[in-house]
Amino acid sequence: MLLPSAKWRWPSPSGLPSWKLTGPLLALLTVLWATAPMVELNLPRLASSSGRFFHFAGQLVEMPDWGYFPQLVLKLIETVEMTVLGTFIATLVSLPLGVLAASNTSPHPWVCRLIRDLLSLMRAMPELVWALVFVSAVGLGPLAGTMALAWVTVGFLGKIFAEAIEVVSPKAMEGVRAHGAGRMQVLQFAVLPQALPDLVGTVAYILDHNLRSATILGLVGAGGIGYDLIMSMRMFQYGRLIMIMAAIYLLVTALDRVSDHLRGQVIHGQLYEQ
Amino acid sequence: MGSSMSSEPLAALRRPVQPLPPRPRDYAWAWAAGVVALLLGITWHLGINFAALAAGLGDIAEYVHRYSTPNFTDWSRYLALMGITLATALWGTAIAAGLSFILAPLAAKNFSPHPVVYRGAREILNFMRAMPDLVLALMFVAAIGLGPFPGALALGVHSSGFLGKFLAECMERVDKDTCEGVASTGAGFIQRLAFVAWPTILPEGLGYLLFILDRNVRMASVLGMVGAGGIGFELYNSLRMFNYDQSAAMILVILATLLLIDHAASWLRRRLE
Repeated sequence: MLLPSAKWRWPSPSGLPSWKLTGPLLALLTVLWATAPMVELNLPRLASSSGRFFHFAGQLVEMPDWGYFPQLVLKLIETVEMTVLGTFIATLVSLPLGVLAASNTSPHPWVCRLIRDLLSLMRAMPELVWALVFVSAVGLGPLAGTMALAWVTVGFLGKIFAEAIEVVSPKAMEGVRAHGAGRMQVLQFAVLPQALPDLVGTVAYILDHNLRSATILGLVGAGGIGYDLIMSMRMFQYGRLIMIMAAIYLLVTALDRVSDHLRGQVIHGQLYEQ
Repeated sequence: MGSSMSSEPLAALRRPVQPLPPRPRDYAWAWAAGVVALLLGITWHLGINFAALAAGLGDIAEYVHRYSTPNFTDWSRYLALMGITLATALWGTAIAAGLSFILAPLAAKNFSPHPVVYRGAREILNFMRAMPDLVLALMFVAAIGLGPFPGALALGVHSSGFLGKFLAECMERVDKDTCEGVASTGAGFIQRLAFVAWPTILPEGLGYLLFILDRNVRMASVLGMVGAGGIGFELYNSLRMFNYDQSAAMILVILATLLLIDHAASWLRRRLE
């Protein structure tokens, strides 16, 4: 349960909102106003193009092209397969990296620093940029997409695993070590059991995130539904486009629900009560 | 008489021993086998050939080597383009904040004025989340024309799906007694939001806003690929023309900016806590 904190309560005793709140807000509005020309925000143009936008949106509403259905299903399966494979490989790779990057299990502070910087470098750029690089390196197809997904996911998972390991109680580790356990045994019997619920929850979240990313990787030829999406948009095949968008919506929503449910169970400990 | 009394505990001892409950079956190996089979099936179906990949490692190394001489002669232009990308991300986040300021209270079960409004708001957020921002950017570019603003709009619509959901879930965890206390003074929907919901979730909400900003900066750097301005547009063009030196320079500029923002965001987050 969340309680309101006294620090943020308003109005303050003087009857006006506190400067802590209005100051940053004013600063932010000034920055937005100053950067408006940079993003070419032009309200008259925006207003005049709204008619064009509705015309475009109206065109999208077309009878679905049912002849395309079998290929759609194949492409969707490919997208899901890329997601699962990429996430699995990334999980395997990032478990040891997470152990090395956590300050309480790392063999040396320098190793910890080095791995942390490497991980933040891996996740710094979105999947799509890495997909461009991997497509150029290994050619068109789902392999490049899977590699890009796994690459960025290692960056995220490694960091989150390290953070989950760092909050493990040191007493349990000490207790296991007092029995003469080696480094691997401490990991197996003290660290892993405590960090597991966090890890499972994170993987469920990442799986959901990766499915969203996998739907657009095809834009650069890295496999999945994205290629058909952009081609049907470029060739004005709106009957296909509407089917693809509906399919992406259904797929993403379904996994979103499953992932939410799984994370709720893990966080409330129902999965580990036995 | 004495013998019958002493036979009582003996009889208890002579009772047949309760068999132990069966040892719980451990199906871990079956799960592992299933997962391995599934992954092998996927690899086969996707047509991924790990042997060919291993053989191609030399090619990959050679390809990466081509990026080893970044050319920074145009650095001032790259910085200006990066500035546009950052402005796009900022505007996208501001649009998301505005949209979810309206949608989040409607999508929180305990503050929403009506169950129908609650379901509707949830579905709208769901839909915004489900549409990839690159696809939205494509549509906005087609409708409004080239430039960074369609990109900001796409980022705003997509990420308000996330921000609205996070904020709504945060509001649902607000203490029930506080809500009732304020409601009992006759406070209406707006007053309950202003005096209970927003002040309570503000610290956590700012953390989510930072997370969204961080994400939008990353995405803004690729939106250029579909014609939504910024450094992504230039990077895509130079990648297509095989200008490895200039591409490497731009990638380094993007990486440096993102790492800087990563550190700034984690510093701010520590300050908030």
